[in-house]
Amino acid sequence: MERKTRTRKATAITAACAAALLLAAGCSSSSGGKQSEASSSTGSTGKATTARMTIALVTHQAPGDTFWDIVRKGAEAAAAKDNVKLIYSADPNAGNQSNLVQNAIDQKVDGIAITLAKPDALKDVVAKATAANIPVVGLNSGVSEWQKLGLMEFFGQDETVAGEALGKRLNEAGAKKAVCVIQEQGNIGLTQRCDGVKKTFTGTTEVLNVNGTDMPSVKSTITAKLTQDKAIDYVVTLGASYALTATQSVTDAGSKAKVATFDLNKDLTSAISKGTVEFAVDQQPYLQGYLAIDSLWLYKSNGNYMGGGEQAVLTGPAFVDKTNVDKVAAFAAKGTR
Amino acid sequence: MTDTDTQAGDAPIVSLKAVGKSYGNVRALHGVSLDVLPGRVTCVLGDNGAGKSTLIKIVSGLHQHTEGEYAIDGEPVHLSTPREALDKGIATVYQDLATVPLMPVWRNFFLGSEVTKGPWPVRRLDIAGMKKTADEELRNMGIVLDDLDQPIGTLSGGQRQSVAIARAVYFGARVLILDEPTAALGVKQSGVVLKYIAAARDRGLGVIFITHNPHHAYMVGDHFTVLRLGTLEMSAARSEVSLEELTNHMAGGAELAALKHELAQVRGVDVEELPELEDLGESAGKSAAEPAADSKAS
Amino acid sequence: MTQHAEPAVTTPPAPGPKETDGRTSRRPLALRLMARPEVGVFLGAVAVYVFFLVAAPPVRDGAAMANILYQSSTIGIMALPVALLMIGGEFDLSSGVAVITSALTASMLSYQLTTNVWVGVIVALLVSLSIGFVNGWMVVRTGLPSFLITLGTFLILQGVNLAVTKLVTENVATDDISNMDGFSQAKKVFASSFDVGGVQVKITIVYWLVFAAIATWVLLRTKYGNWIFAVGGNKDSARAVGVPVTFTKISLFMLVGFGAWFIGMHQLFTFNTVQSGEGVGQELIYISAAVIGGCLLTGGAGSAIGPVFGAFMFGMVQQGIVYAGWNPDWFKAFLGVMLLGAVLINLWVSRQATRR
Repeated sequence: MERKTRTRKATAITAACAAALLLAAGCSSSSGGKQSEASSSTGSTGKATTARMTIALVTHQAPGDTFWDIVRKGAEAAAAKDNVKLIYSADPNAGNQSNLVQNAIDQKVDGIAITLAKPDALKDVVAKATAANIPVVGLNSGVSEWQKLGLMEFFGQDETVAGEALGKRLNEAGAKKAVCVIQEQGNIGLTQRCDGVKKTFTGTTEVLNVNGTDMPSVKSTITAKLTQDKAIDYVVTLGASYALTATQSVTDAGSKAKVATFDLNKDLTSAISKGTVEFAVDQQPYLQGYLAIDSLWLYKSNGNYMGGGEQAVLTGPAFVDKTNVDKVAAFAAKGTR
Repeated sequence: MTDTDTQAGDAPIVSLKAVGKSYGNVRALHGVSLDVLPGRVTCVLGDNGAGKSTLIKIVSGLHQHTEGEYAIDGEPVHLSTPREALDKGIATVYQDLATVPLMPVWRNFFLGSEVTKGPWPVRRLDIAGMKKTADEELRNMGIVLDDLDQPIGTLSGGQRQSVAIARAVYFGARVLILDEPTAALGVKQSGVVLKYIAAARDRGLGVIFITHNPHHAYMVGDHFTVLRLGTLEMSAARSEVSLEELTNHMAGGAELAALKHELAQVRGVDVEELPELEDLGESAGKSAAEPAADSKAS
Repeated sequence: MTQHAEPAVTTPPAPGPKETDGRTSRRPLALRLMARPEVGVFLGAVAVYVFFLVAAPPVRDGAAMANILYQSSTIGIMALPVALLMIGGEFDLSSGVAVITSALTASMLSYQLTTNVWVGVIVALLVSLSIGFVNGWMVVRTGLPSFLITLGTFLILQGVNLAVTKLVTENVATDDISNMDGFSQAKKVFASSFDVGGVQVKITIVYWLVFAAIATWVLLRTKYGNWIFAVGGNKDSARAVGVPVTFTKISLFMLVGFGAWFIGMHQLFTFNTVQSGEGVGQELIYISAAVIGGCLLTGGAGSAIGPVFGAFMFGMVQQGIVYAGWNPDWFKAFLGVMLLGAVLINLWVSRQATRR
């Protein structure tokens, strides 16, 4: 008797699962989804015929960060082209980052690219790399320190410089009061951006700390700030996804504030076209990563280096707004801008 | 109460015949025979390490015996979970596992057997009914509490044990096993628990009362079983043993008697009070010879 | 046969029904109410609310309250199953990232297979319930503290969230699904808002209160609720009297999985894309709301109403600081001070109630 009910139960469950699968298979979407994705023309990249070399890229990325993900993509593209084995590692903690650099030195890599978010913490390990005859280049952070530390080249726009550029742009837009939304209090890069804005913006800049790991909380907090201070006319966010959330907050709070941001992503370009976001600062992270790796390859294979050991190679910042967003949109859709 | 006055007949509810338990190459229990009759209190005594807990875990269904026969109502069984034992009417009240301290008395009383009313999906607890029943049952056992909502942890140790006993009695236990209920209690508290053991006995339950205190055992026991090193050292009815003999057995009197001559040689050791081996001989000899027959003899 | 001595102890006579123990007198109703943990946290919440009403004028606005309640509800909906689990004696440190796992699953599945969004939603539910099941099963099977087991799950899920998203979408965030079939329907269910006297109220607030009511009823009025208290208070006693401990614990973990799914869906349909690195640290907020709400860290005591006020307190303080315009650098410190204050009020109230 028990056997019978057990087999009956099993049959019922299997039948239910099969029905569910059929239903799922039938429930396809008529719009959107992967099927409608524009095919990206990824032609096969020619590989350089130079000897295989290993280059380490060590940044201060926090896990899941969009900006650094694009830096990495640029580096990977250069590595694929140059027949380079790329070792990518990152840690937002400066002490840990220097350990990762030491790790690369121990692995006897052919070149190291690093970001100098906290130059003092990396001073010693850079000296060790140079002593071991490993060329070191810098990218993104440390535009005023790279020379002192003995790095060969530097690519990028500092976060502070990017912030200053945004501040100037706000002046042009006639803004009077801006709120700078920091999604991770204490993050060096983010703090530098807001400090940059404060430096050049003639109006008042206020900082708002939000809980970046909980989007509903980000939304509520920006809404609260806009309600508390009706004088705010610009919301500056430090990441593309946060800009999109900010647009929702602006609607919720019934505020007339405009939204501007650092960094791009797929959905942000359409927001700029639609006008819900005014403009975005593009530091060209892809280019920073790309140049960092490519320059080391050039140096190793042909002894070339850029900047003469004196000047940094600038990759931006560039502004993306309604006037030029179309040119960038296709690239942003690929996830490389 | 004479021995002809058995309430539910002579048939034992629980009957162990030469039961034993080995854990690998360690023989924790061996050759233990015990009968539990309704309306009788069987005391299981022995010092620490004698095998009392192993015996109890076998009867309550926590462990399985590896030798001998364990019969309930005359039929041999191999219990695999405490739930099975509970279903057959064997309820165990452990020293420290009787109740959930933070829960109210009435919730503890009905834990695992809550009374519900109403159709699914709105089947809910019959709180008023449960409180009333709990109150009645506790009063029947002689326990009076002002507030059944108080966490059971606020009651004294003896009261807590008593609630657990009342619970077992209410839920149709036919055999009640009490694992050292008075071990951690003071004199007055122990008295309270002994009262409730008697109450359970008088309601027709068979009680197995485990203790290492012969005085407590003698106050309520009808039959005494002494375990030592995993085997039966003595099995006697109340009529066959006095409190003094029982105490001596418990205190290792047999070994001391054997040592009496040796100890007498040592100056300063008072051996006058020690019993002679011959004095202990009667009950000691009996236990070795006829363990099975003995438990029926009362 | 020989006569044997009567046992010294006989049954005492049953006392009359009206007889009482006589040693305790009934405490006044007010004090008895104050002793309940929910009342303490309620008073703490009221204190915090009044404080911000005074210190932050924008809070007096209806729209501001709606915003605060929205923040409270997204914490509160997760705080409920986390509280029930805590009463059952266990922790789930993976509850924060589990929300993101659920959202990522629904989004990526629907997008990659180009299915109706609801298919993704249902698969996400199954995945979340399975994660809960695995957590519970491992805790019960190994007997290890749930703190350790769920710490492992937390790290695994955090890593999987990042890696699988990168693998599937080549980005750290999911793709746009707002133009797919079923999106607008699902948005209406999980992420809509309605008008109350000119103020936009988010639907999560309603869900929060409904879930809280159901949770309270289950906890206090059903067999299962009794089992939860027992399993958290003394697991071995509960097992000894026949309470299904394994079933109770595993089902509690699965309830947390359900909560993670619900909030994950809300997030997905509110923000459309999901950032794979989010969720880290939220589990502590849920646990805090539960503990502020009176759930004992050691298990066996607590309520479902308390965490409602606990979540409200959290939302109130977090947003109130912004409404009050205090220096943002001190944000976290203020948050900590206010929460400690609220908890101390809670403690003082219950001490007063039990001392008299």
